[in-house]
Amino acid sequence: MVNIETNIQNTKYRPEDIQGNIVRGYNFKYVRHLILEVSDVKAARRFLAASVSDDSGDVPSITRETSWKKKPESCFNIGFTYEGLKALGLSRKQLASFPKEFVEGMTKRALKIGDFGESAPETWPAPFDQPDRVHIVASVHAKNIKSIDGIQDIVARSFNVIGVRDGRALDKGKIVFGYVDGISQPKLKHVHDPSEDKDDQPINPLGVVLLGYPTRLEGVLFSLPQPEKELGFNGTFNAFRVLSQNAAEFETYLTEAAEDLLKHKDIDHLLPAKEVKLFGKGHTRKSAIREIVAAQMLGRWRNGVPYETSPDTPNPDPEVSLTNFNYGYKSRCPVGAHMRRANPRGGPIVQHVANRTRRIVRRGMVYGPDFDPSKPDNEERGLLGNFIGANLGAQFEAIMYDWLNLGLQHPDITGSNDPILGANSRETSWFDLTLKNGGKIRLRGFPRFITSRGGAYTFLPSIRAVKYLSDLSG
Amino acid sequence: MSKTEGWFARYVDTLQSRGWFKFVSKYIVVPYWIWRAPKPKLPGGPRVSPQPSDNIQRMMNLIMPLKDPSPIGRATAVSVVAQNVDEIFAGLDNVGTVHFARFLLLDDKLCMISAYDGDFSNYIRDFIVTVGSVFDEIMTQIDGGDDLIPTEHNVEKFIEWVHEHDLFQAPDYPTHMFALQDEAIGREPNKPPHMIQSLPRDLILQLHANPNISLGGGYRSYPGFTAAQVRDKFGVGW
Ligand code: HEM
Repeated sequence: MVNIETNIQNTKYRPEDIQGNIVRGYNFKYVRHLILEVSDVKAARRFLAASVSDDSGDVPSITRETSWKKKPESCFNIGFTYEGLKALGLSRKQLASFPKEFVEGMTKRALKIGDFGESAPETWPAPFDQPDRVHIVASVHAKNIKSIDGIQDIVARSFNVIGVRDGRALDKGKIVFGYVDGISQPKLKHVHDPSEDKDDQPINPLGVVLLGYPTRLEGVLFSLPQPEKELGFNGTFNAFRVLSQNAAEFETYLTEAAEDLLKHKDIDHLLPAKEVKLFGKGHTRKSAIREIVAAQMLGRWRNGVPYETSPDTPNPDPEVSLTNFNYGYKSRCPVGAHMRRANPRGGPIVQHVANRTRRIVRRGMVYGPDFDPSKPDNEERGLLGNFIGANLGAQFEAIMYDWLNLGLQHPDITGSNDPILGANSRETSWFDLTLKNGGKIRLRGFPRFITSRGGAYTFLPSIRAVKYLSDLSG
Repeated sequence: MSKTEGWFARYVDTLQSRGWFKFVSKYIVVPYWIWRAPKPKLPGGPRVSPQPSDNIQRMMNLIMPLKDPSPIGRATAVSVVAQNVDEIFAGLDNVGTVHFARFLLLDDKLCMISAYDGDFSNYIRDFIVTVGSVFDEIMTQIDGGDDLIPTEHNVEKFIEWVHEHDLFQAPDYPTHMFALQDEAIGREPNKPPHMIQSLPRDLILQLHANPNISLGGGYRSYPGFTAAQVRDKFGVGW
């Protein structure tokens, strides 16, 4: 009676079967995401076959998780949308074995993930205005643009390139809005990433990020695309997002908030005048308050220092760990801060079973021109984000819907959205700053700072699965 | 479309008021129209909304057909629920987003009615994580339930199954139904706009696809608060 056809488990971790940039990051300077349509299915299959063969000719080889001795000039990886798998010739039955979120695709899940109003898929520019034609997102990471151009030319021989998105890494891991990003990632069993050595958060089973292994939800196994050994194992899902960040509006809001706060009766509980010096040279009380607002909204100071363990200054002496802290009932890090919403760690939450279960891997790069706060402009810039996890519904969507928006995890924030990322409007937005005396000051009137400008749910197959796809016929 | 909007359409629109014709319409006209312009079954449960207050205190009306609808089978189903009461309480506590849940036995169906906060899939998934064994036992009594056991290994499938067996919640304003019907067949809602006169016809056809529905999404006598907000306010811990 028990269903045994599915859920044979992967027993051995084989990095050579897993695409790179999933369980460990690359740290390249440049990325180009090529948005591809399968226009000639035979050519597409030939390309895929070459990309995983020992002798790929001039076709770029798909980069694997296997450690490299010398860092290559570039890396090549590939993700397929549901439409893409269909175009490559997966049977109806196989297609139906994929989870519903993926089958429906990002644009149909819009309301769930906050893509309405200015973020609605109907407003997205090409190529994302035609989601049916977005078949593949191939990502080239490289040390320089020239090698990216070369790879694009080769890809274009086998696919119709319907759009590209270029990203780059800013100095010191910064992103638009000036925060350092890429600090917290789920640590995984079997994977050694030296950058995570000092992170003392509990280790996650591989099933958080790869299909076919035990998951973080006790006893639960996620279902696999069929045939599972050939197609499902060692694959994962990705929410690729083009997120535009309105830097000018963000900086303006910080100034407005600081000016209002300076007049607030409780300002001494937020920043006593004598503590301005903790912010370092050149800071006024107003500029320091701006930084406090930015830090509380995110959960880290813009230099990456956690607000939880260093609530008084971005420059704690002695230094504090960037990764090791937890939240509690008396935390100074606001419950509504972006980072605490996205990963409440062991802190109190309504869904007792969900602590530490909705982890995702984030791989993002900045797009658009540099922003100079002293000469604000309204050019489009933001984040090309990959939000990766074995189950889009249980991880990415669960975070977006209940936690980043809505704020279901804690009664004090329910009904409010993430101050940085949420689907806010000036009329209804609110965010509670925490004070030294345990009190709060409520900020209001901030707009939606981040809007979606495109994206797709993709399946990142294993190397074996790419081979399987290339062998399809018909 | 224009042809079908002619005399026959107008005629069907008046069906409900033609008492003497009800017999014929029931056995000939409606079946013909169902064949002519079938409506897909509309999905169950509350719809996603950008409005935070629409996303809390949401209703689930899960209607599960019993495998054995005889008095013996019905009695077994009742005892399975009764034996799991402690686990159900533990589940409610750990899931944290449920206001209340109750079971009804109606003819050959076991129903689970609940009010919960937030996302439906998270609610069901979290329940499986906490008390999957309860659902496993209940599913042994349900027609088609065996394919879903153990629920912990069929999470996605189980969530879909519950979604399919959750009653469609008809909009409070009947005309909003048009938009949902359009969406279900992949059309842009209300383009072109629907004739209000066709509402009775569309409702009849929809009730063929969704024989049991919930009229509206439930009414509240006070604004929506989450279970945790209520517990917090009354100091009973959350
Ligand atoms: C442009 C949009 C976004 C910006 C500017 C942004 C910014 C940041 C920053 C600066 C951090 C702290 C750095 C770190 O701990 O690594 C962070 C952490 C994080 N963000 Fe975002 N983020 C964005 C979108 C998202 C989205 C869409 C999600 C989720 C679905 C998300 C989930 C997370 C998570 C899980 C963490 C780590 C929290 C932890 O483990 O403690 N972010 N984000």
